[in-house]
Amino acid sequence: MKKLFTIVLALAFALLANMSLVTADMHDWWADAAAPYAGATIRGVSESTPPSNYVADVLAAQFTELTGINVEFETTSWDQMYSKAINDMEANTGIYDFVYIEQDIIYSYLAQDYLVNLTQFAADNPDLAYEGYDESAFTSFADYFKNADGDLFGVPMEAFVKVYLYRKDLFEDADIMAAFEEEYGYPLAPAESFDQYADNAAFFTAYGESMDMDLWGTTVQGSTGHPASTYEFLESIGPSFGLYNWGINLEAGSAQSANGGALDGDTAVEALSFWLSMLPYAPPEATSSTWDEVASSFAAGRAAQGWVYGENAAWIATDESRSAVTGNVGVRLPVTAEGVVDAAMMGDGYIGYYDGGAFGVPHSSRNKEATLLWLQFIGQESVQAEWAAAGARITHTATFDDPLIAEQDTKVDGYYTLLEEQGPLFAGAPPFPFHAQVREVIDPFIQRAILGELSPAEALSQAAMAVDEELSRLGYGM
Amino acid sequence: MRNPRTGWLLLSPTLIILIVFGFMPFLYVLVVGFFDWNVFAAEAGMRFNGLGNFRRLVFDDLFLTSVGLTIRFALFAIVSEVVLGFLLAQMLTRNFPGKSVFRIIHTFPLMIAPIAVGAIWRLLVIPGFGPVPFFLDRWFGLTYQIGTYPDQALATSVIMDVWHWTPFVTLTMLAGLSAMPREPVEQAKVDGASRLQVFWYVTLPFLRPVLLTTVFIRIMDAIRTVDEVWMLAGGGPGTRFTGIYIWRVTSPGASADWGYGSSISLITLYLTIVLCWLLFIAISGRRKGEVE
Repeated sequence: MKKLFTIVLALAFALLANMSLVTADMHDWWADAAAPYAGATIRGVSESTPPSNYVADVLAAQFTELTGINVEFETTSWDQMYSKAINDMEANTGIYDFVYIEQDIIYSYLAQDYLVNLTQFAADNPDLAYEGYDESAFTSFADYFKNADGDLFGVPMEAFVKVYLYRKDLFEDADIMAAFEEEYGYPLAPAESFDQYADNAAFFTAYGESMDMDLWGTTVQGSTGHPASTYEFLESIGPSFGLYNWGINLEAGSAQSANGGALDGDTAVEALSFWLSMLPYAPPEATSSTWDEVASSFAAGRAAQGWVYGENAAWIATDESRSAVTGNVGVRLPVTAEGVVDAAMMGDGYIGYYDGGAFGVPHSSRNKEATLLWLQFIGQESVQAEWAAAGARITHTATFDDPLIAEQDTKVDGYYTLLEEQGPLFAGAPPFPFHAQVREVIDPFIQRAILGELSPAEALSQAAMAVDEELSRLGYGM
Repeated sequence: MRNPRTGWLLLSPTLIILIVFGFMPFLYVLVVGFFDWNVFAAEAGMRFNGLGNFRRLVFDDLFLTSVGLTIRFALFAIVSEVVLGFLLAQMLTRNFPGKSVFRIIHTFPLMIAPIAVGAIWRLLVIPGFGPVPFFLDRWFGLTYQIGTYPDQALATSVIMDVWHWTPFVTLTMLAGLSAMPREPVEQAKVDGASRLQVFWYVTLPFLRPVLLTTVFIRIMDAIRTVDEVWMLAGGGPGTRFTGIYIWRVTSPGASADWGYGSSISLITLYLTIVLCWLLFIAISGRRKGEVE
């Protein structure tokens, strides 16, 4: 027994010594590789989101400690992020060394040749290639940031889907369940059809009013002064009805049904009509809500169910300092029309937007080498799990199996499992090089429909015409 | 005799800064305004477009709407600020308990950056979270949703602007009133003029240069207001309240369409000059052929 104990102890020491050597080696590698750039400052810009804030608050400090390279990371509003990054890259001013590339804008950036080919750059600078960084370790979401040759142009930093969240404490309350069943003639449950969603929404809005509670039946990301409303319609509601690629036929260069598009078609009108019909059941802040306010509204317990970006799922479900519904958050796939899931499984469509982004290096950067080190640092396996737990984002396949994530998964009602197993039903944005430009054209029509100034059919008809005009102006049209 | 070169030498730092940071960017915008330059166009780069951008503007309903709304916003805000600013300045020419404390508190809004002002007001008025809609509903049963009702968004933007900039008008009016000689006022009173007559025939003419300068500055600011109203409601709701610059930022195409955006900037500058000139004529009473 004593001998066995001695052997185990010796093995433990050996393991610890080995680990410390590996850790020391790792430290040495970063310090050695970064030595020529120590004291340099690299600057980046991103939207202020839970994953970005983790980068700014945690990872940047760790990297600086290892390398002596300072990281100035600006987390700002979504609009400002784009404005700053695009202006910098187009004017070639070199303010930013790394920029956030949302999945939907990558095609525009590649078309304009804004970004450095990271795979090639690492191959050209073998001294800077960290062996703990492996491009093949990323989930298939990384494919959106690759060119036809498979070269990577952005290191994925967040990936999530927009899910259906509901309040378990309400949906599982015996009195509420009885009241619902008495009124609608079937049991209360998380919605699996649009009719059921509408019934739930109407019921909980009436329930909140009757109980004098600040409770409404659904969230609606319906800001009338922000593109968030357009995105919710085009990337969440539309696909769940079977409206894909914003209703734009890229080959035909048109959004109008008459020319092969679908933005003004029956499916689109049905989707918009349903979404707008949810406004009376949404909290009063709905018409001022972007994705941030939607998450805040749900976290404040003001909505019984809703479409919420997955990046917020973790903190809504677990952070008691910010959320009033911790421990009561249910997660499901968003509601879809009949046949949409089947089409998604066949690869003929998708049920919603697989959102996320990566950090890329603009050609205009003056510190490409130091930035490559930084991107490898945030792209390595060892930093992923805690980042995923904090920001509900997963970009590495191995992260799904991490014990920390498994534990977090139970607190978030299986969100990470859903992301792993059902993620392929979602898809990134269509490969439009004109993404932002055309979305800006659609915004006013969606917003006017929300305000009731245009009917869904009028709004979409006018939007489709405007899109076609813009496509023509940009050189992508018929 | 003074050497003019010394004068130019002393002026040169200012002139250089003015040329580099003011005149050259203006020239650049002027040139770009005549080009088709869209970052996301299929064909990259600048292409000469003549007056194409300006022609597109003239027939653009969104732009014309935004011009009308901006003028309404500027009119309501500036008239309110001038009236309130004058009354407050009058009050501050007199002694009353707590005057110095009031004067300090009154100028606080001026110290806050416009973007922060917008954020503060957004927190105050955002439906569902802000105290203003809550208490309006609780006490008066009024529905107040700036994301839904354009008139409420416009009114809130005007009130926010008045809150932010009235202290500026007060300070300039106070300076004007302090510099005004007392004798003409006293003489008018001795002659039996009413308070209204004193104001109209004595005070106002004396204040005219101050008034003109203040209103000019406020017109220029109001027309290019963006931070506050952008933060408040994103320039919405919809296309119903959108300042010219808000529109410039959010309009279809303009945020990445640098040629079109430049033409909007030029038209806005032209509009500002025209408005200021009309106002100058109206307030100063100058007519064609008049000699100063």
